[in-house]
Amino acid sequence: MPNGRSRRREFLHASAVGTLGMLAGPLGVTARRCAEAASRPSPSSTADTLIVLWMAGGMAHTETFDPKRHAPFSAGMKADEVLCTFPSIDTAVDDVKISMGLERIAKVMNRGTLIRSHVLGDLGQILHSRHQYHWHTGYEPPQTVAAPHLGAWIAHALGPVNPAIPAFIDVGQGYEGNGESEELKAFQSGGCLGSRYHPFRVPDPRQAVSVVRPPAGMSEKRFRRRFESLKSLVAASPLPRENRGELQEALLRAEDDAFRLMESPAARAFDLSLEPPSSFDVYNTSKFGLGCLLARRLVEQGARFIEVTTEYGPFLQWDTHDNGHTRLAKLKQEIDAPIAQLVLDLESRKLLDRTLIVLASEFSRDCLVEGKPDRRVPDQVEQPAVVNELKFYGMHRHFTGASSVLIFGGGAKKGLLYGRTAPERPCTTIENPINVTDLHASLLKALGVPPDYHVEVEQRPFYVTQDGRGQPRSELFG
Amino acid sequence: MLVKMPRTQRSPEAAGFSGFLRGALQVAGTAMPIRETAMRLAQIGMMALAVSAASSTRHAVLHADDSQPGVKSTKDQIDFAHDIVPILQKRCAKCHAGTQKKGGFSINARQALLAGGDDGPAVVPRHGAESALIKRVSSDDPDLRMPPEGERLTRDQVDLLRRWIDLGAEWEDGFAFGKATRQAALAPRRPELPGGAAVAGLANPVDKFLHRHFAQQGAIPDVVADRVFARRAFFDLVGLPPSPAELEAFEGDRRADKRARLVKRLLGDREAYAAHWLTFWNDLLRNAYHGTGFIDGGRKQITGWLYGAIYRNKPYDAFVRELVSPPAGAGSEGFTYGIKWRGTVNESQRREIQAAQSIAQVFLGTNIKCASCHDSFVNHWKLVDAYALASIFSDGPLELHRCDQPTGIPSAFGFLYPQLGTIDVKASRAERVQQCANLLTHPENGRLTRTIVNRLWARLFGRGLIEPLDNMDAESWNQDLLDYLATDLADHGYDIQRTLSLVATSLAYQLPGVAPERGTSASDAFAFRGPFVKRLTAEQFVDSIFSLTSDWPAPDPAGLQPDGRAQGGQLGAVAQALAAASPSPESAAGAKAGVPLPAGFRVRAALLPLDSLQAALGRPNREQIVSARDASPTMLQSLELINGPILGARLTHGAAYWHKQEMLDQRQLIDQIYRTALSRSPSESEMRLAGDVLGTPLSAEGIEDLLWTIAMLPEFQLVP
Repeated sequence: MPNGRSRRREFLHASAVGTLGMLAGPLGVTARRCAEAASRPSPSSTADTLIVLWMAGGMAHTETFDPKRHAPFSAGMKADEVLCTFPSIDTAVDDVKISMGLERIAKVMNRGTLIRSHVLGDLGQILHSRHQYHWHTGYEPPQTVAAPHLGAWIAHALGPVNPAIPAFIDVGQGYEGNGESEELKAFQSGGCLGSRYHPFRVPDPRQAVSVVRPPAGMSEKRFRRRFESLKSLVAASPLPRENRGELQEALLRAEDDAFRLMESPAARAFDLSLEPPSSFDVYNTSKFGLGCLLARRLVEQGARFIEVTTEYGPFLQWDTHDNGHTRLAKLKQEIDAPIAQLVLDLESRKLLDRTLIVLASEFSRDCLVEGKPDRRVPDQVEQPAVVNELKFYGMHRHFTGASSVLIFGGGAKKGLLYGRTAPERPCTTIENPINVTDLHASLLKALGVPPDYHVEVEQRPFYVTQDGRGQPRSELFG
Repeated sequence: MLVKMPRTQRSPEAAGFSGFLRGALQVAGTAMPIRETAMRLAQIGMMALAVSAASSTRHAVLHADDSQPGVKSTKDQIDFAHDIVPILQKRCAKCHAGTQKKGGFSINARQALLAGGDDGPAVVPRHGAESALIKRVSSDDPDLRMPPEGERLTRDQVDLLRRWIDLGAEWEDGFAFGKATRQAALAPRRPELPGGAAVAGLANPVDKFLHRHFAQQGAIPDVVADRVFARRAFFDLVGLPPSPAELEAFEGDRRADKRARLVKRLLGDREAYAAHWLTFWNDLLRNAYHGTGFIDGGRKQITGWLYGAIYRNKPYDAFVRELVSPPAGAGSEGFTYGIKWRGTVNESQRREIQAAQSIAQVFLGTNIKCASCHDSFVNHWKLVDAYALASIFSDGPLELHRCDQPTGIPSAFGFLYPQLGTIDVKASRAERVQQCANLLTHPENGRLTRTIVNRLWARLFGRGLIEPLDNMDAESWNQDLLDYLATDLADHGYDIQRTLSLVATSLAYQLPGVAPERGTSASDAFAFRGPFVKRLTAEQFVDSIFSLTSDWPAPDPAGLQPDGRAQGGQLGAVAQALAAASPSPESAAGAKAGVPLPAGFRVRAALLPLDSLQAALGRPNREQIVSARDASPTMLQSLELINGPILGARLTHGAAYWHKQEMLDQRQLIDQIYRTALSRSPSESEMRLAGDVLGTPLSAEGIEDLLWTIAMLPEFQLVP
């Protein structure tokens, strides 16, 4: 199977063909893509690409990948009996059981590692976006330095795989009408690495193609004509002496780059309508499902970092303050087939070995425990001691003591179960705790980025993992 | 930024762009050297700087080119400077000197070297063989060996180090690895104006101080043409391009002092001036209309106060005092209030410490962020200094926390520069804060005025008299000029507009624009040649589009009325500030919430909430203080301009406007568009090409295409 380097060569070759083909068109070619070949992953890397599947809002571990004793609903049951509202099912790995509703993922569990001991930051009172900031940057806000997103770091360290595909792509998060949009934007950013490392945003995968298409309603012909006009007017411009220089050239190059992205054959990856219906339908469970499809198509074209989120909005999706059981049944239906299919598709295309997929969430949930088991946090979700209605049946409080993480491909061990949580409440981590810093260090190591990779900001180093101290867990890989 | 992981240097042809636009430049006979992008250049430049800084001690350079430093010494006496420093410099300094402290280990000073790092002492004097340093450099264990990668130290080098330790590990007094932190003088200084023949013909003090820079260029270069000057002055002082009528009037003016008159007129256009400088201050003071923290009341806007202060040209000393020690009801308390996220926050980010960090950075040009957590590695500030300043803003003395761990030691109260005065321990919080404001604006605090005039200079010239702008301890490339401008400001009632006027009427400001030199921040390497060509800020770009399309946005209700979290409402706050500033007593008395905006008020880009267009073009979210934006163009920005809905909608509107100007024939239309967008008429070939873009018959679609094309021209996007 092709390794990272030869895949890169393939892309460079394909790009060259693509651009030669464009010679007949209005725009010229560029030799610049060859330049990008300089940024290669380190020889010890086991992955070229990272896909983060983000379960936004707090995915309860006991209801998904770490099931406990099942307590079926019955009016009048005690809340402290409610550890798990779904029965367990077998998986492709002996002795590993997960929660009902995740049957397809269960079948591919032998392709990856299940971590049950991810311990999230205890940041006091819960603000989802703050915990998400922490997970995505490795730093707790506020910070005096704008902490870059994990994807921005990876883009900075490694550059794109295929220069025609932006190195940091963020799929599925919208901001309109979102009560925490400012907090989300604060970390979905290149931060101190600069605007060059901001994410390429695809807020809605269903309209992914629109981000690489001419403006709505504009014909291809008119769009190309605009660039022809631009070319002639730049040529005709007197370019006053004082205006010449690097800045002007950089502006033109940025425009050139954008046009080339849109014209690139790789841009077809954004067009989900090109996917055969049989495959499209498997992924078409939800926006998130189609985001997984988009991720697969982008990896085929050579992507470096893609995050696909179920989308965070207060009290939406995994942020179940009520009706936990009912809502999770639906959420599982939305994620199960697409995630399993993503793994299988990448495997059949021989891309899984160099693509690391990680599924994670900002914390877990519990029916009774809020935050760390030993502390009381203000503003807990109301939970009656006796459950009379279905809406109180589920995991509605925020729990940071343990959370489940799945990793597939990219050198991750196959069929490994890592870490353990207590069988009874609080179902907290009792073996192999791994925090965000070390989880990041492990993912980064797979990509060949050391945990103390850093830039200098205001004369001081700023590290990819907190203070450069991340310790990769080698037992997760190999 | 210093990149740690090695990157392969790119080949020049691989780095260049040879796309259509490059072809276009060649057609125009002005092919430019192929370079890396601005960002990459900056990185490479910084790398070179870092390398030179690391090898700039006088000891190290002696052996800078030796591949095997130290091997030639066989004598019994060890010479620290010649035998030891080169080895440490070459094999250890990269990770353990200057700001680098891998494994907690720094070799900057003898004490640090002996103390070692996380694994304990590194050097035990007179016990070379037992010292961890010797064990590490001679170990073959991959987990222990130092340096961890690359060639081992030679036997001779290890031997030298061991013998040096055996002899007591003597160190040269005053020597330190890494840059010694320079501390600038605090007091104001009044340099004498250069006189004599050298400055004959130079009237403006700025030019007198620059006469050497002029002389070095052989002669005083010609100043730019009127239209270039107008465009530059308009953008720099009020953030807008001149309208064709304004440009015509200016070009037609025959008076000798018309440029000075233009500067005066622009500074007098208070609405335009305030809208422009609001951006500068919003970035510095972290004033956002929407942002993190508001969700829990953890943040406050200062928009109304700030707009009013700029509009009235509030004297800078009063401006600073009101931000630091807000008068009741003034609306300026948001600055020291900071940003509080829900939940538990690291001690070094508690409100009081944020206030101290912000005051130090914004008003004094110094960084106490490192020292908020531990004694700084990058400058001379200590943990106790940061806490002493922060405690002023606390109800009682804060407990010192080192790296988020409580120490049990209460902080003192104090100002960063105690020579200016002290903080009364017994005073109330309000009194302490007032004392702090008074010390900041103390006449003997030359740092306050130097910091602001340096920022203003950088706005107009694209580069400060000192860089970086937030480190006023760095060397200036013209200390006399800096000191002169600083004292001139203080001597004239802290009148910011006076400083702007002084600078904008200088000959230096009228020199042809120079391509910015990125990555060269060392003052001794900087040769002043003229103002840098600057990229339009997001706000300037958007305002230019509004001007080009004669289409200013209507006030949005969310801008007039704050929401339940005190977000938005910025236009309402401005309306109130304008009413309060009105000379008419009735208007001033009616300056209550809900007062309408004055007729003809332009909603400028700076007063709009942050949208995807402005964000793409570099307007920050104001989560951190930003004193210099990242101006490097990116593909994502271009994509927003190419197919983003916000610019698209504006251009569609604008095209409809121009389409309605039926009295204009095609040539006139093109001329008007060029003059509005680029402050000049088109050449004949441009006229012809633009005519092709418009097509016949004239359609709104054709006009829209022309507007887009012009907006994409670098000439449109740059301040000349």
